[in-house]
Amino acid sequence: MAPTGLLATLKRLFGSAPALSPEQEEELRRLHLERCHNFKLLLAANNRALEVMSDMEEALRGERAFGAGYVREACTRVASEVFAMVRGLTSLAPGRYDGLLPRFRAIQAEINTAVLAAPVPASGPLVRPLADLAAADLDQAGSKLANLGELARALGATIPRGFAVTAAGFARFMSHNDLQAEVDRRIQAADASRLDELYALSSSLQGFIASAPLPPDLEAAIREQAAALSAAAGEGLLLAVRSSAIGEDALGATFAGQYHTELGVEPDEAVQAYREVVAAKYGVTAMTYRLVRGIPDEAVPMCVGVMEMVDAAASGVAYSRDPMRPADGSGGRLLIEAVPGLPKAVVDGSAAVDRFLVDRDPLALARVEAARKEFRYAPSAGAGLDRIPLAPEEAGQPCLDEARVLAVARLALAAEQHFNGPQDLEWAFDPAGRLVLLQCRPLKEAAAEAAAAPPPGPANRDLPVLLAGGVAASPGAGAGEAFAARKDADALRFPPGGVLVVAQALPFWATLLSRAAAVVAERGSAAGHLANVAREYGVPALFGLPGALAGLEGAGLVTVDADGRRVLPGDATRDLPRRERPRNLMLGSPVLALLEGAARHIVPLTLLDPSAPDFAPEGCATLHDVTRYCHEKSVEEMFSQGADLPLPTHAAKRLSVDGRAMQYWVIDLGDGIAGQVEGKAVPLEQIASAPMLALWRGMTAAPWAGPPVDAKGFMSVLAGSASNPDLDPGAASAFAEKNYFMIASDFCSLQSRFGYHFSTVEALIGDEDAGNYLSFRFKGGAADHGRRTRRAEMIAELLEELGFRCETKADALFARMEGYGRQFMEERLAALGHVIVHTRQMDMAMADAAQAGAFKARLLTDITGRLGVRPGP
Amino acid sequence: MSDAIRVLIVDDEEDFRTNLVKLLGISPNITAEAVGSGEAALEWLAANPCDVVLLDVKMPGLAAHGTLKRIRDGGYPVEVIILTGHASVDDAVELMNLGAFDYLLKPCSTREIVKKVTWAFESHTGKK
Repeated sequence: MAPTGLLATLKRLFGSAPALSPEQEEELRRLHLERCHNFKLLLAANNRALEVMSDMEEALRGERAFGAGYVREACTRVASEVFAMVRGLTSLAPGRYDGLLPRFRAIQAEINTAVLAAPVPASGPLVRPLADLAAADLDQAGSKLANLGELARALGATIPRGFAVTAAGFARFMSHNDLQAEVDRRIQAADASRLDELYALSSSLQGFIASAPLPPDLEAAIREQAAALSAAAGEGLLLAVRSSAIGEDALGATFAGQYHTELGVEPDEAVQAYREVVAAKYGVTAMTYRLVRGIPDEAVPMCVGVMEMVDAAASGVAYSRDPMRPADGSGGRLLIEAVPGLPKAVVDGSAAVDRFLVDRDPLALARVEAARKEFRYAPSAGAGLDRIPLAPEEAGQPCLDEARVLAVARLALAAEQHFNGPQDLEWAFDPAGRLVLLQCRPLKEAAAEAAAAPPPGPANRDLPVLLAGGVAASPGAGAGEAFAARKDADALRFPPGGVLVVAQALPFWATLLSRAAAVVAERGSAAGHLANVAREYGVPALFGLPGALAGLEGAGLVTVDADGRRVLPGDATRDLPRRERPRNLMLGSPVLALLEGAARHIVPLTLLDPSAPDFAPEGCATLHDVTRYCHEKSVEEMFSQGADLPLPTHAAKRLSVDGRAMQYWVIDLGDGIAGQVEGKAVPLEQIASAPMLALWRGMTAAPWAGPPVDAKGFMSVLAGSASNPDLDPGAASAFAEKNYFMIASDFCSLQSRFGYHFSTVEALIGDEDAGNYLSFRFKGGAADHGRRTRRAEMIAELLEELGFRCETKADALFARMEGYGRQFMEERLAALGHVIVHTRQMDMAMADAAQAGAFKARLLTDITGRLGVRPGP
Repeated sequence: MSDAIRVLIVDDEEDFRTNLVKLLGISPNITAEAVGSGEAALEWLAANPCDVVLLDVKMPGLAAHGTLKRIRDGGYPVEVIILTGHASVDDAVELMNLGAFDYLLKPCSTREIVKKVTWAFESHTGKK
C-alpha cells in the first residue's frame, strides 16, 4: 500500500534522513501520542454510541414508558458520539474517508426531520380521568398518574376515583396573563446564589402562582370533574391533590423534594389546591435541585392528580423485590410494610411499621415482623390528617392478615410483570376491604440485581443444566448442534441450524447469525454489535458465560435458554415455559411513533461484512452502520499506518536492569516514566507503563535457548540473506539493531528486530475494557520462503489458541485482540513477549509441519508454565 | 503531568456553576473557575491560562455558537466541552463541527464530566 495520510505527511516532512532535529523529534512524539489518544477516544465513543442504541432498542420494545424528551436526548447523544467517531477516523487518516461526513450529514438530516415531528403534549385535553390514562400518556400526565391509569386498565386494579390536570392544562395556566413570563422575569431579577434571596424568591413565586387566576376553561374543567367525583362518592368526599412531574425518568433525576400533596381537600376547594401544588414547583428544595442539576425550568411541566382520599383500614407500601436483598437465593422475596390507617408513617418513616416478607414462587407468607404502633392516621377535612391513638390490644397486632398480605403481594407481582421490572407500590385497604392501588413506580436499584439473579420457574426447575449464568443479550430459547468456533476460518464449517459458541461476541460472527439457532459467547455485552444483530434476527443469545467453549464443544444437541440464562442438554425447547412477550407499553402512542421514525435511521445494522464491496461510506444507511464502519477502519488505520511512523529516537533512554544496560531504548510519550531520569539510562523500576512491564515480564521470564539450527536450516539462512535486500547491511548490524519501546501509562509499543525478523507489538490497556486492544505484526526471517511461511502459520495457530484473531499472508502475520479486561490483556501481552523472543531464527528449524508442531507445543508449555497464562481465549 | 487541569465553567445559572466548581474541585488534578456569560468567558480567557472550557448552550448575550467561534478565532489553546440541558441533534453536530470536543447533556454525573475533561485535556496537550 502506498503511504498516505499521516505517514505521507511525515515522509514529506522528514524525508528519509536519519537525523531529525529536536523540534522534529518533538513533533513525532506528539503525533504518536495523538494517534494513540485519538484511537482511545474513538473506541470510547463507539462504546457509548452502542450503549445508547441498545437503550433505544429497549425503548422501542416498549418495556418501559418514555416521553418525547427521551427521544430527543437519545438521538442527540448518539449523534454526538458517532460524529466524534467520524471526526476521529478522519484525523487518523486525513483524506481517506472524505465520503463519510456527507453520509453522516444525510443521516443526521433524516433523524432531525423525524425528531422535529414530535407531538406537542401541551396541545391535548386540559383534564383527563385517571381511569382513561395509559403508561404512554406520561408526557401528558406525568409517570406517577399514567402508571396508575395503566394498571387500572390493564390489570383491573382498583384505583381511587380522580382525574389529572395535564401538561396541556399546566401550559394553559402558565400562559394565562403571561404568568410564566412574570415568573421568568422574577427569577432573572433575583440573585439565586444567595440563600436569603432564594428563599425570598421562592416565597414570592409561590404566593404569586397560588393567587393567580386560572383561565376560565381550565377552572371550569376542574370544577366539573370535582363535582362529578363528589356526585359519585357521595357526602363527605375529601380529595388528595398531588403533583406528578414530567421528566423524572427521562432525565434520570429523582426530583427529591419536588413532590407536594394537599390532603383533606373539599371538592369545591380543588381549584385552589391545584394552584398550591403547581406553586410548589417553586419551593426552595425543588428550585435548588433543578438549578444544581442543570434541569431547565421549562423541562418540568407540573401535572397534578386530583383523587379521592381513601379512608384506609390499613395501608402501606410493597416492594416487588426486597430492596435490601433483591437476589438472596430465594429468587427475590417481596417486602410489604404496613400500618393501620393511612400510610403516612410508612412513607415518611416517622413511626414503627409492620413488615411482611413473602416468597414469590410459590407465593407464601415467609415472615411477619409486627411492630408496636401507637397511632393511626385518618383523613380530616382541612387539616389533612387526624392522628388517632390505637387501643393497646390493637397496637402489637400485625395490621394485615395472611390473605391481605398475599393480595398485596399478587398485585405487586402483577405490576412487576406488567412493567417488566421490580416495582414500588403504595396501596390501601378501604373500610369495605377492597385493595386500592395508590401509586406505582419502578424500583430502580433492585432492577439491575434482579436481572442478574437466577430465574425462578416451577415448570422448568428440575431440568438438567449444562451451564448457567451470563446475560440474555437476545431473548428466547433455541436448540441445535453446539459448534465451538475458535477462529475466523471456523465460520466456514458452521452447520446451518447450529448453536454458535464463541469466545467473544465480535461483530465478525454476525454473518453466521441468520443460520444459527442460538449464539453463546464467553464474553460480550447486550449493548454490542452482535447482540444487536441477534435481536434483529430474533436469534436467542446468551453472552458473558465463562467456560462456554470448553463446556459446550462436542456437547451435541443443546438448548440455549437465554431468558433463563442457561444451557440445557438436548432439545428442551418444548419443556420451557412459553415466554410471554413483554407487552409494549407504548403501543399506538405518538411518542413511540416518534422514536420509531428516528430510530429507523440509527439502530439497524446493515453493514455486516467488512470484506463486502458495499462496506464503504456510501453503504452506510444508519448511524449504526457508520459506527461499525468507523470502528473497523480505525483499527485498520491504527495497525497498518500508525506502526510505520518513524520513531522519535532522540529523547530515547536506554533501559537498564539491575545496573546493566539492555539492548532496548525507551521513548516516553508522557506519563510512562515515573520521576526524573538522570543521564542516558532509565532503570526498569522507573517504568510506569503497565503494558510495557507485562510485555517485559514475558520477554525475560525464560532465557533464550539460542537458534535451533540444523545444517540445512543454516544454509537456508545464508541463502535468504544473500537474496533479501532488506538484510543487506549484513548479519552483524541486524543483530545490533536497537529496539525501541514507546510508552505511556496505558500504552506500549515495541518495534524490534530479533534476528532477521521484524515485529511490532502495540498495546493500549486502560480502565475501560471496550477501549483495550493488542496488536502484533510479524514479518520476515532469513530462511527460505517455505520455512518462513510455516513459522508465521505456526505462530498464528499458537496465538489463536490464546484467543487472538490472526491473519497470515505468506510470511507475514497480523494478530489482534480487543475488548478484554486488564488482567487478561496483560497476560496475553506477556505471552506475546515470550513469543517474539523465543521465535527468533526459529524459521531455520521449520523444515516440516512436524517440527513446527513440536515448537508450538514447547512454546505453549512455556507460556502456561513459566508465565502462568491460562490457555484458551 | 504534575500541573492540574485548569477548567473554566461558563453557565448563566449561578447555582449550577457554583456547585460544579465545588464538585470538580474535589478531583485532585482539576482546578475549576466559573463565569456567567460567553462575554465574561472571553475576557477571562484573555487574561488567564486555561485548558478546558465547559460551555452552556443557551445563555443571554453570546450563546455557545458565538462563544465557541470567538474562542477559535482568538486562537485560545483550549478544548471546549458543551454541557447543556438542551437536547438537539443539530446543535450537537453543529457545535462539534465548530470544534467542540464533546457534547454532554445535563444532568450529567461528575464522574462523567471529570472523565471527559481529562480526555479533552489529553487531546489538548497532544495538539499544543
